[in-house]
Amino acid sequence: MQKATVVVIGGGATGVGILRDLCMRGIDAVLVEQQDLAYGTSSRYHGLLHSGGRYAVKDAEAGKECIEENTILRKIGRHCVEQTEGFFVRTPLDPEDFEGKWLEACKNVGIPTIPISVEEARRLEPNLSPKIQAVYRVPDAAIDGFRMVWQNVASARKYGGRVMTYTTVVGIEQTNGEVTGITVRNTLSGVVTKIACEFVVSAAGSWAGEIAHLAGIDVNVQPDRGTLVAFNHRITSRIVNRLRPASDGDIFVPHGSITILGTTSASVKNPDDNVPTAKEVVELLKIGEALFEDIHSYRMLRAFAGTRPLYSADPNAKGRGASRGFVTLDHAHDGLKGFISVVGGKFTTYRLMAEKVTDLVCQYLNNKTACRTAEEPLVEDASPALISKAKQYFPAYGTELAASRLGSEGLEKVVKRMQDNPEKCQLLCECENVTMAEVEEAAADETSHMLSDVRRKTRMGMGTCQGAFCTFRSVGAVDAAGLAWGKDTQGLFKEFLQARWKGIRPILWGNVMRETQLTRGIYEGTLNINGAISDEGK
Amino acid sequence: MKENDVIVIGGGFSGLMAAAVAAKRGKKVTVLSLGAGTLSIASGNVDVLGYDKNGKPVANPKAGLSSVAADHPYNKIGQKSLEEAVQFFLELTKEEGYAYKGSLDQQQWIPTAAGTLKPTCLVPMTMDTSALKNASKAYIIGFESLKDFYPHLVAKNLRNMPGYDQEYEMLMVDPKLPAGRDVTNLDIARWLDSAEGRKAFVAQLRATIKPGSVAVIAPVLGTAPSHAVRDELEQALNCKFVESVVVPPGITGHRLRIMMLNHVKKLGVKVVEHAVVTRGIVENGQCTAVVTEAIDRERTYQAKSFILASGGFYGGGLVAEPGQAIEPVFNLPIAAPTTQEDWSNFQMFSNEAQPFEKIGIAVDETMRPVDADGKVLLNNVFIAGRNLCGYDFCFEKSGNGVAMASGYKAAMSV
Repeated sequence: MQKATVVVIGGGATGVGILRDLCMRGIDAVLVEQQDLAYGTSSRYHGLLHSGGRYAVKDAEAGKECIEENTILRKIGRHCVEQTEGFFVRTPLDPEDFEGKWLEACKNVGIPTIPISVEEARRLEPNLSPKIQAVYRVPDAAIDGFRMVWQNVASARKYGGRVMTYTTVVGIEQTNGEVTGITVRNTLSGVVTKIACEFVVSAAGSWAGEIAHLAGIDVNVQPDRGTLVAFNHRITSRIVNRLRPASDGDIFVPHGSITILGTTSASVKNPDDNVPTAKEVVELLKIGEALFEDIHSYRMLRAFAGTRPLYSADPNAKGRGASRGFVTLDHAHDGLKGFISVVGGKFTTYRLMAEKVTDLVCQYLNNKTACRTAEEPLVEDASPALISKAKQYFPAYGTELAASRLGSEGLEKVVKRMQDNPEKCQLLCECENVTMAEVEEAAADETSHMLSDVRRKTRMGMGTCQGAFCTFRSVGAVDAAGLAWGKDTQGLFKEFLQARWKGIRPILWGNVMRETQLTRGIYEGTLNINGAISDEGK
Repeated sequence: MKENDVIVIGGGFSGLMAAAVAAKRGKKVTVLSLGAGTLSIASGNVDVLGYDKNGKPVANPKAGLSSVAADHPYNKIGQKSLEEAVQFFLELTKEEGYAYKGSLDQQQWIPTAAGTLKPTCLVPMTMDTSALKNASKAYIIGFESLKDFYPHLVAKNLRNMPGYDQEYEMLMVDPKLPAGRDVTNLDIARWLDSAEGRKAFVAQLRATIKPGSVAVIAPVLGTAPSHAVRDELEQALNCKFVESVVVPPGITGHRLRIMMLNHVKKLGVKVVEHAVVTRGIVENGQCTAVVTEAIDRERTYQAKSFILASGGFYGGGLVAEPGQAIEPVFNLPIAAPTTQEDWSNFQMFSNEAQPFEKIGIAVDETMRPVDADGKVLLNNVFIAGRNLCGYDFCFEKSGNGVAMASGYKAAMSV
């Protein structure tokens, strides 16, 4: 039987943050995640590293936490954060009297706001509507959810942290009011195992209520569904927020070569309710017009949805009415010692949440080691020597990008593959600049079980063509590598393309329709992935 | 400009087929083509009907025609015209020295780069699989550095296909193309276009390949619609080659386009490239001219009849907007579900056709566009190809078949 001092449930930002913190303080910990890392809310949001401006008026404490954590994450997560800065923009549709309130609130919690003229704002961001009336600069940034999660895990692993993906919790074991372990099921193999432990920390986000139920405890987490749209270019190179009380469709966030527009807000029963609808997309575009008049002519990539884990001690609070702050619940008060839930919060404050939870565990363990997650970078920078070596193999424009994505150790392994076999320098995914070597490296990782896992690690298939070309190549590469999970190649094709299809269906018009017909033409028309077998021999 | 009998809008397979048929009938024809389009990147086979509407394989495409839905283009075209179209096309390919093989009576199952088989009706001789099916052992030839063909993937899956369950041995050829660039099937085909490439190819394989054997290869046996490259290599190595279908660029589609262009030009058809047709000029249900937008100015093309072969959504002949579809040249009515979710199935690969693929122009039996009541909307405009309603070419494997037959029928109706 496996053993650990602490089992962390949930492979989102909070869970991996806790794993890292525990391991850095010398505590033996294992993390279990029901899907792949960052499968849930940590990648299903707009990827905004909040300055806090969004929350300043309504929730000063959340605003303050944001600006503090924002400053820390820029430092420790240099390779996950793009320092874009942000604009708060008032359009003619927004209440004028909010502006003063907002400025005052930002000042109170220490968020710098710099007014600039509309002319200057439009010189910097020419796509902004000429009708806008006031603009302020704030220290918002873009953050890559996938990468942040992976780099936390990479760091935790260095300190002995373990991660089990596709592992769902089916029971929390207890004896005399104390946690003794958990029972888990591998969702791919169906095998059920037990892990003995002293503490169970639930960082399951929207699923935290379900986890608590396994121990017979009520935790009032209300999943709140948000739908977003990804565009295939940088409509803006800065984050653009509407200067109004938080509402739907009022944030644009540039990431690499794309822009994300979000979000809607709707209370849902099921935390897995993440299928976006066309109606939501059309509404988002309509709202987005106020900031970017040409929004309907921009090429969309896909729509996606996630559920925010809103927590309230009051079971009736819903949606934007519920707090975005976080709470650490020590269930010793509910009669189960060793079981802790951390609920609410947001991506920007994941590290702080992890610190508070780890502090609580340390108190019980009488561990006096101080938290260092705010000082130590997640991954080491690649050395100049390694970068210049990598430049011999990577497409020139791709080196820095890959170095950021992979970290120093990962880059070294990928460069080695390229050195051994120069053909592997070729781009498997042209849209996102992902080489064959990098895909092979990610595919060989023990946490990869399907192509979507490789996608989340590399961004392969996430660009303009949404897998039209790289799906075939990645199946070919996985098959050639002889990986255990790559045996059913038909299944590989279907899993990957269906995952892409989910986000394409709600936006099936314009050029997305054209791209879809190309993709179907290749996989269903030409390669006959669907039919495949002749009846000749029968 | 007045001398045109027929203007064909669209230079894809249906448009070029229509131009060839109309020209052969003595018409003066001009093709307005936007670009190389889908024809040159696809695989160049003529799929007629591979699966019925329930996804059951069709053994005999002609017999399968009776199973298609009432609004399917084949029901407007009719079996007789389909048979004549096949005949016309096969003769055309022979005349051009790049013969196709097949008939409406027999489905052909050909190997793909995924190691699956796909049903089709007419294939270039380079995709004739009879030698492969009779062999007890075959080679799969791959190329070092080619990222769009994986011999192991082909071998592993093909082995499980009835009739193809022989032993496969993989061989790699190194084209030694300049390092640091990405290599597609088109690069390999160009390499084999060159005498040095062919020489190196033979030199690398001669010692390994047993005389009298068969080899599956990507469609790289030259870029031209000719058997010259294949013949030379087969002779030098005493080995039969079978080209498989691949992801774009599918060289066989490029060959088909070049052959069709060569053919229509010989018949005196004028082909205008980079022509963006923006609108038709219509008076009393009669089209008098179409207008193109070029870099400098608009041009007007007049004719007695017009064939609209402008493609589907992919080709730009139809435009999709949330909850509606538009035909941009004549603004013809297009029936489409008003709720976006009804445009597609929840599964990308499912056991039924995708509704959005069936969206298109409804026609009468002479291929003229009709409204919801069946009333003809334009007397001298005929529709051909992917912009027709009522069929999902991917699901049923009928793409070029509908294009070929509707192009033929439209040209016979002008």
